[in-house]
This record gives sequence, structure tokens and C-alpha cells, in this order.
Amino acid sequence: MSNALPVVDKKFEPKDFKSDLKPIWCPGCGDFGVLQSLYRALAAIGRPAHEIAFVSGIGCSSRIPGYTTAYGFNTVHGRALPIAQGIKIANPSLLVLCAGGDGDGFSIGGGHVAHAVRRNIDLTYIVMDNQIYGLTKGQLSPTSPRGLKTVTSSLGSLEDPVNPLLYVLGYGASFVAQGTAADLPGLAAIIEEGIRFPGFAFINVQSPCVTYGEDEWQIKEQRARMKSLESLGHDPKDQLHAMDLARAYGKELYTGVFYRNPAPSPTYDQLVLERQKEKGASAPDPARVLDSLIQR
Amino acid sequence: MTTTRGIDFAHLSLKDALDLAVLVEEEAQERYDEFTHQMKTHDTPEAASFFAFMSRNEKKHGDELRARRLELFGDAPRSVERAMIFDIEAPDYDQARAFMSARQALTAALASETKAHAFFVAALPAIQDPKVKALFAELRDEEIEHQKLVQAELAKLPPSEDLGDAFADEPVAH
Amino acid sequence: MLDNLVIGMAGSGGDGIVSAGETLVAAAATEGYYGIMTKSFGSQIRGGESSCRVRISSGPVLNPGGTLDVAVALNWPDFLKFGAELPVGGNTVVIYEAKSGVTADKIPIVGVTPAEVVAVPFGELAKKMGGTDKAKNTVVLGLLAGWFDVARETLIKNVAKKLAKKGPEVVAAAERAFNAGVAYAAEHPLKSDMRMAPPKDGRGTKILTDGNDMCAAAAIFAGCRFFGGYPITPSTEVMQYLSREIWKYGGAVLQAEDEIAGVGAAVGASFAGVKSMTATSGPGMSLKTEMIGLASIAELPLVVVNVQRGGPSTGMPTKPEQADLFQACFSAHGDGPRPVLAPTTVADTFGMTVEAFNIAEEYQTPVILLSDQEIGQRKEACTPVDTAKYKVVERLRPTPAELEDYTRFRFTDTGVSPVSQPGMLGGNYLAAGIEHNEKGDPTASGAMHGKMNDKRHKKLVPLVHRRDLFHVEGDPAAPLALISWGSTAGVCREALAIARRRGISAKLLVPYLLFPVAEEVYHEFFIGVKAGLVVELSHQGQLYRLLRMYVDVPRGIRSMCRSGAAPYLPEDVVRELRAATLGLQGETAETRQPQE
Repeated sequence: MSNALPVVDKKFEPKDFKSDLKPIWCPGCGDFGVLQSLYRALAAIGRPAHEIAFVSGIGCSSRIPGYTTAYGFNTVHGRALPIAQGIKIANPSLLVLCAGGDGDGFSIGGGHVAHAVRRNIDLTYIVMDNQIYGLTKGQLSPTSPRGLKTVTSSLGSLEDPVNPLLYVLGYGASFVAQGTAADLPGLAAIIEEGIRFPGFAFINVQSPCVTYGEDEWQIKEQRARMKSLESLGHDPKDQLHAMDLARAYGKELYTGVFYRNPAPSPTYDQLVLERQKEKGASAPDPARVLDSLIQR
Repeated sequence: MTTTRGIDFAHLSLKDALDLAVLVEEEAQERYDEFTHQMKTHDTPEAASFFAFMSRNEKKHGDELRARRLELFGDAPRSVERAMIFDIEAPDYDQARAFMSARQALTAALASETKAHAFFVAALPAIQDPKVKALFAELRDEEIEHQKLVQAELAKLPPSEDLGDAFADEPVAH
Repeated sequence: MLDNLVIGMAGSGGDGIVSAGETLVAAAATEGYYGIMTKSFGSQIRGGESSCRVRISSGPVLNPGGTLDVAVALNWPDFLKFGAELPVGGNTVVIYEAKSGVTADKIPIVGVTPAEVVAVPFGELAKKMGGTDKAKNTVVLGLLAGWFDVARETLIKNVAKKLAKKGPEVVAAAERAFNAGVAYAAEHPLKSDMRMAPPKDGRGTKILTDGNDMCAAAAIFAGCRFFGGYPITPSTEVMQYLSREIWKYGGAVLQAEDEIAGVGAAVGASFAGVKSMTATSGPGMSLKTEMIGLASIAELPLVVVNVQRGGPSTGMPTKPEQADLFQACFSAHGDGPRPVLAPTTVADTFGMTVEAFNIAEEYQTPVILLSDQEIGQRKEACTPVDTAKYKVVERLRPTPAELEDYTRFRFTDTGVSPVSQPGMLGGNYLAAGIEHNEKGDPTASGAMHGKMNDKRHKKLVPLVHRRDLFHVEGDPAAPLALISWGSTAGVCREALAIARRRGISAKLLVPYLLFPVAEEVYHEFFIGVKAGLVVELSHQGQLYRLLRMYVDVPRGIRSMCRSGAAPYLPEDVVRELRAATLGLQGETAETRQPQE
């Protein structure tokens, strides 16, 4: 642009993180807003795209890394977290993001969340929770409400949904928040805070499916009923109260930070660096790796 | 959902106000581009061409404002940024739908213009600088013009049923 | 004087017979002997039956040996549980606990008359001299040192060293028990002189390690700086070694929450630009399958070690088998090629592990290293590997010019395209399990899918021309052939030598690269071959079947295969080879065909 505005005295604009690849999501999908909020958060964080590794699983939402200019890795169903952790351990200087749907995070890959939590590995995990399997055309998901009728539960589901917030709080996570595609500025702020948090940050995002969602105008409905935790006077240092509030998942739509540990454990990646520094002081020659095996 | 972040309307300078106005147009233009692409991707050509039309409009407004800014302030550094605004004139993402009719597309655009108008109306009382006040009043009134423009387009449309995806194929599993 | 001695010992876990074996092979290695020690256990965590087989030799050894030269039974019921793993023959000296009350002419071994049978009051000597009958394993060591003249000085020193932290009294007791064994041997000489010849090489010329530690050490040498894994027998020692050592080299180990997460983290680390590895066994391999496909389509280097055990399912976790070959070559949906390599000894595990990393890096592909329980967990005393012989390969990275307009999966003549990594300015791309175009963007185009499959297969073609990954041994003109891989190849090497001494001329092909199948190599090897055997520990005869799939195998080549647990003995192969020579004369060989 010849008559472009002078650049602002800041390094990054949201569009710096937008790739040329156009989303294939259905028009009206909540994920568009999540993506937009993420661009905002990344601009605010100010790390260049090439220092960001963005990992996802499989599902509609897991297409998201390709729509950013970061190094992306669209992996296999349910395994984004282990892969993201491998990246972070291999190169702790990277900003590592991880995203996926509720099926990815709480069904097929549910076993990985607890372990990322207990390592307090410094990455941000965004679950785009739409209570449905969209990519495979509308089957029951782990967060689908009891009784939901879908193509695989045509007479209504017989089970309670997972409560992602309560699960992750129960695992002992140090940062647990919820946002919604109905409040993009709020979501951008939450994502930014999650990225800045030194350790594992879990962000559940209510990101409705317009094609298979129960109500086609869920975002409007969410906008009407969402309540910010801040407005409720919730102290995010209060873990027990956070759990109490999280129990309302599926009934109330609370947004903001449920819990932020004021004194989190050191991160796994930091401890790895320290151990490498301590043990690596002698810097042995790999060519002599067998010397210690000589029987003298 | 129209939101701003970190804008001090009381002390907004004319340069900042112009820059902000440009950013508002840019945001709207980009969103209409996104919508155009969404509609093209999802076989909704009428809405696509309307959103493309809206994008061109927003670009035109943006260019005019940008020219004024450059004329008045040259390349003096900018101190406002995109992160300060959110969805001022850009249609909300959940307005878009596959197979939406031209009428629905226009209605979505009209809602955005109304939203933008409301933004300038709400901002005006706080503004102290008379030049900025004048600019915002001008922009507010322009939104009215834009609304009229969209309404005129709406009027041109034959009365149609919004059939949505009634005759479309089922979505495809991946 | 003997150049070679195979000792098999069994007892209950509390007898410490495996510990005695370890002390023996270590002392022999210190003195400069070559050696191999294998262990075998019942299923109890502690106190079940346990046995070991120690082979000591003045020259290089390739397998744990066949029929025992010396059998030591601390009690008969436990010894007998190992059956074919501890075979007694006409040349075996059988030594057993006198307290068992069994007379020398009534030992419970049917069908053979051992060369000599000696009842020794192990427990009584241990109690009398060592103060506790628990010291009987030390009496056994003294006895072996005495009768077979192996490493006596080093043995007593090592026993003392091992017990040093238990206090001087325990050390003194152990020394008395050891000396009691030596004295008993002197007082009761064997009928024939079975003293070992002194080692040809001097003290301190051997390393002693198992295949798993060797694999881990080689990984460090090859530049592996990340390991993700999950404990599983018989591969866990790879992770254990690295969890101690890798930090010194700036690497890290993640004990993951499951097998999938272990390999997943390794895939992630590789994406981040770090050479990475995972190790597992059958059940874990089944779980890792999807990730191997991911590494294949994302073209990321990855080394996956499978220390094979008996399968399917939990199968036989502590026993060797070679029945994961099909899985290694084919366990994937889609056409996802992956090189499969197999070491044959602890010593060559080093080179094969380095090769696995080099191939993974060079061709940006997952590589499966198929070890097995026998190689992974046996101790081998061998000459140290000359690490200077091995080069270390790094993946092709983009040049600054290529980063100007980076195309991650650019089509090239070799199929290999430069790979960037997070942190590299301009190298940003999307890696994905989904099919993609050259830029890395997802595609649903069948034409692009075809081209990408071409690329992923084409880049591995040079491998089948790597003659150094195939060893041909024996008489190159012989019409009689053996093909064998993994730990069974070591058995076949010895069988080849025995056969030659018996006037049977044959040749042996040992493929270290199992997949892709090097058709030309086999066709060349089969020129002039009239009969032969593909020898392996798998019920289906998986290598035989694999070769039949890709290669024109001569009609006279048959499958010699059976389920694992007990490795083949060289004599087994010699017997089948002899039968195959009948085939050469137009008679029917009785070699077993694989069962369908």
C-alpha cells in the first residue's frame, strides 16, 4: 500500500499472524472469532511468528494452526499435547500453543491433559468446546449434554458430559480460564494472559457449531447469558471457589480466569534447562560414550 | 461485539482520531473480505458479491480518511493500533451463514453500520477536542449514509424467501 | 585347553545364580575374554526360578552357544523348568547340589548321558565357610574358577568389590566361600582337563554391555538429544540409560504417560529440530503405529526401537521372538514407507543404531530398529566399537536463499527437501498428518496425493543399493544358502562354521536392512542357489513370507521357523542344513513349512 499509515511504535499487528490460507470452517462458526482473538493476543505478546510453534489435533478447530503464520503442526487425533510438549522440551525458548476440540482434549486425548498439567509445562492449551463432533457430521461429543439427540445418539445420550473446567482444576492446573466466541475482546485478553502465565495454561472456549449445534444462534444466546467472573467478584487465587464456580459448567456461562496459582511449581521445561546446565558442565565427547563400559 | 481497549476519548488528538477511523474501516474491509471468501468457499455467490461490494466501500472510505490523515500529519508516528478496537464496523462472525440469501447478507451489513453509528454516538460526549468532535460527528453521520446505501440495496431486492440450505446437499464429513 | 566354554546355571531367585553369572562374565571380560551372558526368568518379580547362560571365549562370539559345556543346577525343579534353553548333551559336565539327594546316575535328565556328573554340597560349603548357605553362588564361582581356570584373581576381587558396602565381615565370608569352591575343585578334579585357554587380548581390552545400553549409547553418539518413552519389558533399559546420561550432552528424557505420548513427544522434538528416539516392545509398538504414519507424512526424522518379545498381545515379555517384522514393515494405514533395520549382536547394535539415526535424518523418515529381547538384554563382552568409523548425518536444512520463499515439501530429484524448524526465520510452515501440497497446505487433490506418495517412496530408493547393509558370509559359490536376521543370524553364523567343519559348504546372507526389501541383493545372492533356509523365530516365518512377496525365491529355499522364547541353537540349524543337502541330491527335505 503506497499510502499506508505510518507503523505504530510497536512490533506486531494481528495481521502479522494471519496466514494466506483461508479457513474452511462453516460461515458463522465460533472458531473464526477464536482465531481473530488469537491474532490479537499474539500481537499483544509480541513474539515473532517464527518463534511460535502451534500444535493441534484433528477436528474442525484443529485446522487453526494453518491459519496462522506460526510454525504449525496439525497432528493426529487427541495427541496434540504430547507433541507440543516434545517441542517445548526440545526448544524451551519457543512459544508453544496447543489447540483442539472437546473430542480431541477430553475424549480420545483426555489422558494427556492431566500429565501436561502435572508437569506444569509452559504452554497454552486452547480447547474449542462446541459439544459436538462437527468434522464427522454431528455425533455426540464428550461435552454434549445428557440426553442430546445426535446421529449417534438418536434416542438421546445416556451419559453426563465431561466438565472440562472441573477436570483440569482437579488435576491441579495452575491456570484455568474460560472464554467464548461471543466475547472476542474478552477472549483475546484471556488468551494473552494464558500465554503470559509461566506454566501450563488451560483455556476452555465456548465456540459454537452453527451446522450441528443445537441452536443455530448460540453466539447470540451466549452473549446474553455470559457472566464475567470478575463481575461476580471472584478472586482467581481462590482455588476452592474456582472449583465451586466450575461446577456450573453447562448451566452457567462464566468467562474469565477461574484459577491462577500465585505460586506455581517451576515449569518442566525450565527444570530441563537447569538439569542440562548442571549435568552438562563436563560436556563429554560423544565419541567417547563407550569408554565407561570398558572392563578394567 | 463492539469494544475498545485503552482509548482515552477525552484526550484523543485529531491525528489519533483519524488513525482510529482508518483502522475501523480497515477492520470492516478485512471482515468483508473474509465473508466474501467464506461465501465463495461455501457456494453462496450472491452474498459473496454483496460482501465484496461492501469491502470496496469500506476501502474507499478508508482511503479517503487515510489521505486526509497524510495530508494533515504526514508520516508523524501513529500511536493508536488495531488492538484498541474490536468489531466497530466489522460484521460479527456469527452473522455469516452458508447459503445465506442476499437479503440476509444485506441485513448483516446494515446491523454493522448501525453498530458503527452507535459507537460514534457513544464516543462523542467524552470527546473534548472540538476538531475531533467534528470528525466523529461527521463519521457518525456517514454511518447514516451507509445505512441508507444498504437500505437502498435492500429495496432493490425482489421480495424473496430466505430458503437457506433447504435445497442444499447435506454437509460433508471429513 | 578350551577356547570356548558355555555354562548354564539355574536356581531359584534367592540363590543369586544370575548375579554369579554377571560377576563371571564381567571378570572374564576384564581379563580380555569375549563373552555373552543371557538370563531367563520365571514370571515372578522376585524369587521365581532364574537361570543364566554364560559363554566365554578367547575369540569373538556371535550367540550364546548351543548345548552346554557345563550345567549347574542349584536345584533340579528350577533347572528343569528352563528345558530347551539349557540343553544338556553328551559332552556336558553336570554339576548339581548334593543336598538334593539325587545320585549321579539318577539325575532327572532324560535321553542323554552327560560326560560327567558331579554332586557338590554347595549349601553345606557355603554355610561352613561363608557362614550362610546364601553364599552358595560364591562357592559356585570358586568352583568354576578352579575347574575351568577362568579369571580367578579378578573374580575374587570383583566379588569383594561388589560386597564392599555390606561391610568387611561379609567380604571376608564371601572370600572364604569362594576359596572353598576353588579348594573343592582342586580336591575333586574333573575327568578331563577343561581349563580355558588364556585370552588372546590383554586385560582391559573389552567392553561389557547389553544391547539396550549399547543402543542408548549409540543414540547419544549419533546426536539423539530427546527420548520420549514408557516403561516396557524388554526395552526399558534404553530409557534408563538415557535418563542417566543424556543430560550431560544437553538432551532430555521424558517418561511419558503412555506409549503414544512417548513417541508423540519424540515426533514433536524432531519437528523442533532435535534428533529424537523412542523405544518400546510389541504392545507399545502397536500403540505407536499412528505416530509412525504421522512422522512419515510429515517427513520428520524419528528412530523407533522395538526390542521384540513374544507376542501377540502381552505374549511373553521376557522372551525373544522375531515376529514383529510384518508389523515393522507394514503397520500403518496408507502407503507410509519406513526403513526397518535389525542388529544381530550387542556389538553391531551400535552401528545399526547410528545407521538408524543417519537414515532418519538423511531421508526425513521414521526408521524402525528391530532389536529383540535376546540382543537387548544379553551382556556381551566385545572389543570396543571404533566410533571414529561412524559418520553422523544431519538433516538437510534450507539455505538462506531457500528461506526467502520457503517450500517445505518442494519436489526434488532425490525426494528429499530441506526442512526448517521453529525458530528459523522464514522457514514457517504447516506440518500435518493431512495430505498437503509442496508448501505444506492441506489438499484434497488426488494428483497431489499421488505425487507426495511418490516423493515419500522415492527418497528411500537409494537404501536398497546400500550393500554394506547386507553381509554375505561363507562360500559364495555354494548352492546351499542360509538367510537369517537379528539375533538368529548369530546362531546361523556359528551353524555355518560348524557345517563347514563337517564338510557342508553353504553361504549366509544377513540383511541388516529388512525394509524396503532390496530385491537385487537377494536375486544376486540366489544365483546358483539350489536349496536353503530362511531361519527365524516366528511362527509364520515372516522374513520368508516377506521375501516371497518381493523376490523370486528359488523353490529349494524353505522356511525354518518356529515360535520364540527359546532361541535356536546352532546345532538345530546345522541339522536342517544337512537335511537341505539331501534336497540338493533330489531327495525330500524334511524342513518344516510355515503353517498357514
